[in-house]
Amino acid sequence: MSTTFTENQERNPRGIPKAPFIADVAEFLGPDPNPENALKDFQAALAKYRYMDQNLTQRRRSLEDKIPDIKKTLSMVEFLQERREGKKALGGEEGTDDDDSDLEENDTSTKPLTTTFELNDTLYAEAQLEDTDTVYLWLGANVMLSYKIPAAVALLRSKLESAQNSLTTVVEDLEFLREQITIMEVNTARVYNWDVKRRRELREKSEAKDGAVEGKGS
Amino acid sequence: MRMLAQEEEHDDSAEVTWEDQQRINSFSKLNTRLRSIEESIQELKQEKEALDDISMELELADEDQPVMYRIGEAFVHMPHPRAVKRLEKDLAALNAELEKRSASASECEKQMKELKVILYAKFGRAINLDE
Repeated sequence: MSTTFTENQERNPRGIPKAPFIADVAEFLGPDPNPENALKDFQAALAKYRYMDQNLTQRRRSLEDKIPDIKKTLSMVEFLQERREGKKALGGEEGTDDDDSDLEENDTSTKPLTTTFELNDTLYAEAQLEDTDTVYLWLGANVMLSYKIPAAVALLRSKLESAQNSLTTVVEDLEFLREQITIMEVNTARVYNWDVKRRRELREKSEAKDGAVEGKGS
Repeated sequence: MRMLAQEEEHDDSAEVTWEDQQRINSFSKLNTRLRSIEESIQELKQEKEALDDISMELELADEDQPVMYRIGEAFVHMPHPRAVKRLEKDLAALNAELEKRSASASECEKQMKELKVILYAKFGRAINLDE
């Protein structure tokens, strides 16, 4: 009987072991069936899978929180970049086919950008942003670096992409894990049902034998 | 777990083949995927409602007044026409995303329905595929 099926198992790319599929319960349990042990092993493996599932779900949630933040920062930086490019286009050429520049003229491109930003939760303040080519990006761990706008856009885009790729990987792993959990649950159900059936058959057989013996005796 | 009465137990004679197991796995996977897609669709719908409210407000607002449009976490003061244009762009992007998610959700549902038919046909009451 294979009690150590968790070792030398196939693993998926991130090292999650594949659950064995039982084609035939009687064959799997072997000549000396011990369903209790099999069920115990299954429960242990299920516990491990569920633990991994919890971890991955947590990681996925944190990624899903990070991604909108990166998107917001990126959209703001891109907005600043658009504004600068709009101004440069006005300064360099007479007319562009970008109708944004018509709006820019009314905007009086020399006027600084007015924003209302969050000073604190529910507290906003007004600020005037001068024309600048530098932004500061918070990189976490009390670190903030200054970047020229194109470099900032590139950095944010690459961060967004890697976060989205990690998310895809985590989702894939979660789906794989779900499959393995399902297989184990089905295995558990089938071994349990097989055991119930077998016990009942044994009991009926022994009752029939007793009945026959009594019949002979009386 | 649901216990069957003994008369209903004759279903356990249907053996679970590898294909059946794979179908069950697919069903489980699609179910989980569908749930998370539906969650994200809910969020997108809320965003869309907010943007629709904004477009109504902008229609009523004075066209000369600067509009505080939210980009990221902060608000930027921009002229009315520019805000309208930006809103249109954001709304278009959101609708495209919503369409994509709804399409994958329907695809999941379709596949799940097919699998349900096959699995219920083979296993009957021995399997439970509904909420």
